[in-house]
Amino acid sequence: MKNILILTQFTLREAFSRKIFIMFSGVTLFILAVAALIFSFVSVDDFQGMVNVNGSQLEIFDKIVEVLKLVIVVPLFGIGIFLAIFSTSSFIPHMLEKGSIDLLLSKPVSRSQVILGKYFGGIAVVFINIAFLILGSWFLIGIKFGNWDPSFLLTIPTIVFAFAELYSLLILIGIITQSSVLAMMLTYLIYFIISPILSYRDNIFSFIESKTTEYILETLYYVLPKTQDLSTINSELAAGGSVPDWMPVILAFTFIILTIATSITIFSKKDY
Amino acid sequence: MNCIEINNLSKIFNPNTKKAVAALNDFNLSIPNGTIFGLLGPNGAGKTTLIKILLGITYASTGDAKILGEDILNYKVKRKVGYLPESHKYPPYLTGEQVLKFYAKLSGYSHSELDKRIEHLLKQVKMNKWKNTKVKAYSKGMMQRLGLAQAMVNDPELIFLDEPTDGVDPIGRKEIRDILFELKNEGKSIFLNSHLLSEVEMVTDRVAILDKGVLLKEGTVEELTTDKEIYNFEFENFVNANIDLYKEQFSIIGHKGSKLTVTVNDTRELNKLLDRFRNDGVLIKSVVPQKNTLEDMFISLIKESEENK
Ligand SMILES: Nc1ncnc2c1ncn2[C@@H]1O[C@H](COP(=O)(O)OP(=O)(O)O)[C@@H](O)[C@H]1O
Ligand SMILES: [Mg+2]
Repeated sequence: MKNILILTQFTLREAFSRKIFIMFSGVTLFILAVAALIFSFVSVDDFQGMVNVNGSQLEIFDKIVEVLKLVIVVPLFGIGIFLAIFSTSSFIPHMLEKGSIDLLLSKPVSRSQVILGKYFGGIAVVFINIAFLILGSWFLIGIKFGNWDPSFLLTIPTIVFAFAELYSLLILIGIITQSSVLAMMLTYLIYFIISPILSYRDNIFSFIESKTTEYILETLYYVLPKTQDLSTINSELAAGGSVPDWMPVILAFTFIILTIATSITIFSKKDY
Repeated sequence: MNCIEINNLSKIFNPNTKKAVAALNDFNLSIPNGTIFGLLGPNGAGKTTLIKILLGITYASTGDAKILGEDILNYKVKRKVGYLPESHKYPPYLTGEQVLKFYAKLSGYSHSELDKRIEHLLKQVKMNKWKNTKVKAYSKGMMQRLGLAQAMVNDPELIFLDEPTDGVDPIGRKEIRDILFELKNEGKSIFLNSHLLSEVEMVTDRVAILDKGVLLKEGTVEELTTDKEIYNFEFENFVNANIDLYKEQFSIIGHKGSKLTVTVNDTRELNKLLDRFRNDGVLIKSVVPQKNTLEDMFISLIKESEENK
């Protein structure tokens, strides 16, 4: 346990030595600052003036807050995870380089501890960044609109969880291929193309009436990461709703366990 | 007790493929505690592979081994082990001091004394000046010094050094030798890989010679470099006229003034020669078995094994 903690800390440190994370945090701060600035110039009355014309005042006012939250969270899910994959994809290949893996494995740590340390370290890094941005926005919205709905904060674990699913895949590919480019490309492919397609497989079925295609797509959907579904859940939560369907969460969790277990098994057998 | 015990260890890389390499072949070795042990062999002999197997970095194909009395598969034994790899990379964004701290922690060494120990080690390897510089700015020699400090940071009982003087200037080498002697005086065991024979000869108590994964010879430097069949004689008086008579019976390979070098087949023949000298009234000042350098022996041994193939 202590070893995992040391390795996690160390991974965090590695991440923060990278320019990409400094950039990430910089962008986060910048967005928050801009939002704060806009908020301080535009008063709540202006908003009310805008929406006074039609409908119930309160209802539309809530709508604005909701839209605002979505405007923050939806791009964050996309860009945040994109950057997170980009910057963590080299963790494993770097670790496996000659000269650093020899030294690491010569220490009294087991190979499963090494993998878990890297895994939690990567997640911790992303958690810190995402939590910082979401908490910051939540405070700004709360102060400005008096809307302190805590369900908005649930998007922190959701985004981090979606990353955790993809990161487990990055680790597996990294262990097998030792290539950060390959790990990154395959993960992007799943994240941006395959998962969205599989998520809307029902629409495809109505076009192609082939039982085989249906069967293949259905299987792939259950086997591969379901980040698109998690993105949907994320938006629901941001807008103050609840999780519409727990199935993708359970499947993603299973995926993580199996992928990490496979990574550990393969890593434990390899000669370095 | 033995700090290292290796039984019938073999390693084949990429087994059952065309690229299969037998890096170690039925290797057996025991090393007593407190020894500076040198493993010698040409490039590709399997020296690095052996260390990596002992440290759990690579796995043996067959056989087993113990370090510090524990099976090598038990990773916890490495708390008491230090390692300087052949090529080592440290996180470039860390300073020398931070590197030592990280690896000490990873070795489970987190005494309140750690800072003091790091300070002391950095002085010992003469890297104190550079402790706050990021390692990406270090030269090869500096990396090697830091690596040596890293191998000692957890106060190990057994230290593996893979080509420790690689890329180090002569002064640095002398300093490394001095550190090794200090460690030995503290009762530590040291396992050293090298292809630099003269280096090894100066520091080690015992050596083994490895070629193509096969252990050719093992023993003290003394044992390995003493060729028992060649003797150097020195005389108080020697009657020059007799030399031809001796040559008829014995194989005299050198003769200069009052000195004589003779090859004998065994101890019996040596004593026969001594009797003959006594009979002739020759006064013997000294009889010394000829000592080869480790290098002479190494080269002839490797050649021999090549010819036998
Ligand atoms: N990971 C590996 N995969 C395949 N062959 C290897 C590997 N590591 C070492 N070898 C081979 O094993 C043999 C011994 O190598 P090594 O232990 O590095 O020798 P040394 O340290 O004595 O120079 C060499 O033939 C080398 O090519
Ligand atoms: Mg080597």
